[in-house]
Amino acid sequence: MFVEVPTSVGGQPGAEITDTRSRGPKWSVLRSHLTPLLYLLPAVALLVVWVYKPLAETVGLSFYKWNMIPTTPKIPVGLENYATVLSLPELHQALWNTVLYIAAFMVFSLVLPVGIALLCGQVTGRWRTFYQALIFVPFLVTPVASSAIWRWMFNPEGGTIPRIAASLGFEMGNIFRDPKLALLGVVVVVGWQMLGFGVLVISAGMAGINPDYSSAASLDGASRSMITRRITLPLLSPTLVFLALMTILLGAQWAYPVIDVLTQGGPSGSTTNIYYLLYEFGFRNFDAGLAAAAGMLFFLGFAIIALVFVRVSDRLSFYDN
Amino acid sequence: MALVIVDAPSRVTSSPSGTDARVVGDQPVAARSRGRVVTGHVLLALLAVVSVFPVYWMFATAFRRPDDALSASLIPWPPTLENFKYVWETIPMASMLTNTFAMAAVMAVSQLLVAVLAAYAFARWNFFGKQLLFLLFVGSWLVPFQVTMIPNYLLISQMGLLNTVAGVVIPNLCGAFGVLLLRQHMEAFPHELLDASVMDGQSSWATLWKVVLPNMKPALAALGIMLFISAWNEYLWPSLVLRQSDALVQIGIRSFMGAEGNNWGAVMAASGLACLPIFLIYLFLQRYVVDAFVRSGLK
Repeated sequence: MFVEVPTSVGGQPGAEITDTRSRGPKWSVLRSHLTPLLYLLPAVALLVVWVYKPLAETVGLSFYKWNMIPTTPKIPVGLENYATVLSLPELHQALWNTVLYIAAFMVFSLVLPVGIALLCGQVTGRWRTFYQALIFVPFLVTPVASSAIWRWMFNPEGGTIPRIAASLGFEMGNIFRDPKLALLGVVVVVGWQMLGFGVLVISAGMAGINPDYSSAASLDGASRSMITRRITLPLLSPTLVFLALMTILLGAQWAYPVIDVLTQGGPSGSTTNIYYLLYEFGFRNFDAGLAAAAGMLFFLGFAIIALVFVRVSDRLSFYDN
Repeated sequence: MALVIVDAPSRVTSSPSGTDARVVGDQPVAARSRGRVVTGHVLLALLAVVSVFPVYWMFATAFRRPDDALSASLIPWPPTLENFKYVWETIPMASMLTNTFAMAAVMAVSQLLVAVLAAYAFARWNFFGKQLLFLLFVGSWLVPFQVTMIPNYLLISQMGLLNTVAGVVIPNLCGAFGVLLLRQHMEAFPHELLDASVMDGQSSWATLWKVVLPNMKPALAALGIMLFISAWNEYLWPSLVLRQSDALVQIGIRSFMGAEGNNWGAVMAASGLACLPIFLIYLFLQRYVVDAFVRSGLK
């Protein structure tokens, strides 16, 4: 039945590199179609089973009320889950916190690294590599361990930071229990981890910029800050866009382990974010329908942001062609 | 999306990272004033200290005698292994580290292998549905894990793999990221070499192993190390699958922290042990690690 494949497609580009030693032209055409698919099979099969099928199931679950126990029936509720999710004050708080987190992470993954990378331009090769290597170290610390380290550093009894604060005349409580400061604490931990990564990526981007431009500009009498603003940053824009998109899409994921270990979203929801909320809906309240509906909303939201971002960045990015 | 991923690496490859003599988008060396260099050194040294101090402090606390846990002296003196001994005896640290190592290794090798095959297909052939299949990979990278976690959890539980390391590994045997990254490397592979190997009568399979892969060793090593590191640091999915078991080091330390609360020396010793393998990899394979993360930008 497979041999019935029309031979007219023999002119396909793929056919030219297929060896034609055996079993006639039909077989070779078939082979030329099948070979790439066979190479793709493991990856595609795994993606379908572990990403796309579950995604479809999540869509399905979002229309039911179900407590995740296999023996209890799923009750169809239409769009009720979506309506509930949108009206939940927890969601509004989590969304707002997510925005705060992402804005704060931008500082650590984009703004500070640009400054540091420019600073790195002031020192010579070996030293630069040395500083960058040290600034990168926190990125390698397992999130659970970095949460532990910072809990210890911020610990009111004997922690380094409250001690320094006390010697400067401030009294510091436990910032992870303070609704006003807890989010800042999480930002510090995640930001500390992300900084080196941003520096690394931006330095690499800067190393990719042809130094002839700035030499030429400085010969023409351009000042340093002028070169930075008019040449370095525009040529760096693809890297900056890449890091910004990364921060928006993954910021909420980076914060997750730190939130889970240090604050569990508290005190009174002040550190929760949308992904932590999803976890709570699903695995603490066992409300699969609500979690699915919220998950779909976030997925669509991020997909739209990503698409808009790519569109806009194509226009804004400046390439050195 | 693809554009964005594709972009950062291609800029990097144009000039190898760590070229010392190169001036980074600034004036030539001669134009630098002494004052700027000094300011640069001071600020960068300060940043380096801020970055490394918490990690140093973790090990310093871990090496203090338990009675001195709250001591503020910079150097733990006399240093002792008591905290490490305590951790080693209280929780199954050896088996947690072994399990985590095995998990990360299996995930890294499998993702690498699957990615090699898929990337090869994308780079070498034009076939019906290529665009669509490629979108499938880019798209899956956009699906946040939290959105699919409940159905995945249910499937793992139906398979009877809850509370097992296998349950952590199996959903992560393939990652779209590796495919996207390797595809880019393979597209850059000279097609003349592929054609030559076809003329030699080599099958596509033999070409992949004898011609393509040996020429991509640095990229494969970098990707492999990166996949290993991110697998080692994986947290959310293990914490769901291993709710009743401490088989992996991240989860084990979390419950150790819960149980030991303010025994800071012990908590820091356990955390230090959990980071140690990654630090060793960084120490010995620094170039590859930096390369990998520069080219990627994931997690």
